[in-house]
Amino acid sequence: MIAAIPVLQTERLRLRAPRLEDFAPFAAHCASDRATFSTGRLDRKGAWAEFASAAGSWTLLGFGAWSVEDRATGTYLGEIMIQHPAHFPEPELGWTLMEHAEGRGYATEAARAALDWAKGRVASLVSYITPGNARSVALAERLGAVLDMGAALPDGEGPDETIVYRHRGIA
Amino acid sequence: MTVTLSNTPVLTTERLTMRVPEMADFEPFCAFVCSDRVRYIGGGADKDRLHAWRAFAHITGHWPLRGFGTFVLVDKSSGAPVGSAGPWFPECWPEHELGWTIWAPEAEGKSFAHEALIALRRHAYADLGWTTAVSYIDPENARSIALAERLGCRLEQTAPTPFGDGQTLVYRHPSPAEVAA
Repeated sequence: MIAAIPVLQTERLRLRAPRLEDFAPFAAHCASDRATFSTGRLDRKGAWAEFASAAGSWTLLGFGAWSVEDRATGTYLGEIMIQHPAHFPEPELGWTLMEHAEGRGYATEAARAALDWAKGRVASLVSYITPGNARSVALAERLGAVLDMGAALPDGEGPDETIVYRHRGIA
Repeated sequence: MTVTLSNTPVLTTERLTMRVPEMADFEPFCAFVCSDRVRYIGGGADKDRLHAWRAFAHITGHWPLRGFGTFVLVDKSSGAPVGSAGPWFPECWPEHELGWTIWAPEAEGKSFAHEALIALRRHAYADLGWTTAVSYIDPENARSIALAERLGCRLEQTAPTPFGDGQTLVYRHPSPAEVAA
């Protein structure tokens, strides 16, 4: 049984449905310091709950996580997700990139494809970023998002933990 | 737009329709997770909407990743979702589990879980080809222990548990041959 998750192609990347074989590199990422700014460091059990719930989002909400792969080699590079868990005030665009895939503009390229797809499909879109995560702030700004000091935060989070970048031209 | 899982099974029993989770099931599930009724599940899960969502989306995402999963039990007479049950095999689980939870207190004591598990165990053995199954149960969860015993499960002292806590009980279901006999 397959969920009909849309496949998006860019010049160098393919965004496709998450598959079981993506879990091993995803879990290795979650166990590393690189997860500090997103999920926090997670053991395999926690990483699975993240991975599976992002995949499950598609049938519940009509959007969710794509696995990002290199079109030329098929190598798994990370995830791009539009997510709206129950404690978020609005949908969020998020990204996770494997260390070996950094510094080549892959996250920007994949996020642009996801943003284009999201237009007209969600009423609004923000990115929640931990203050101090300079790479993600730079990416949000490259995508044209603007800091929104007045936006509601996820339940239980304060401005010391989370800042909100609002993506434009979505609705 | 909607994205649907294709070819997912729908099982029916005398009083229940069992199907994959849908968005409308979330609020009843969330009420369960945020109640004291969840104390025996997942090592006493955190009781808020964040954890409820992750657990609910996890149950849903298990389907496309594994090709099988947990069903929502719908009371045919009211149309209301009353619980979830069925095949469960997330990462770090030592072996295939048949799980169950009844969400609403008013749905308890009606043998819904027993009725569901008879059909779901048949589904696991006949449709999924499982050769064995266990249920992991909190030692203080007397209702679930009683149900496991009613289903013919036997307590196994040496089987590994997903939580590594040395406390979770492992009940082994009768084999496919024993169930058919």
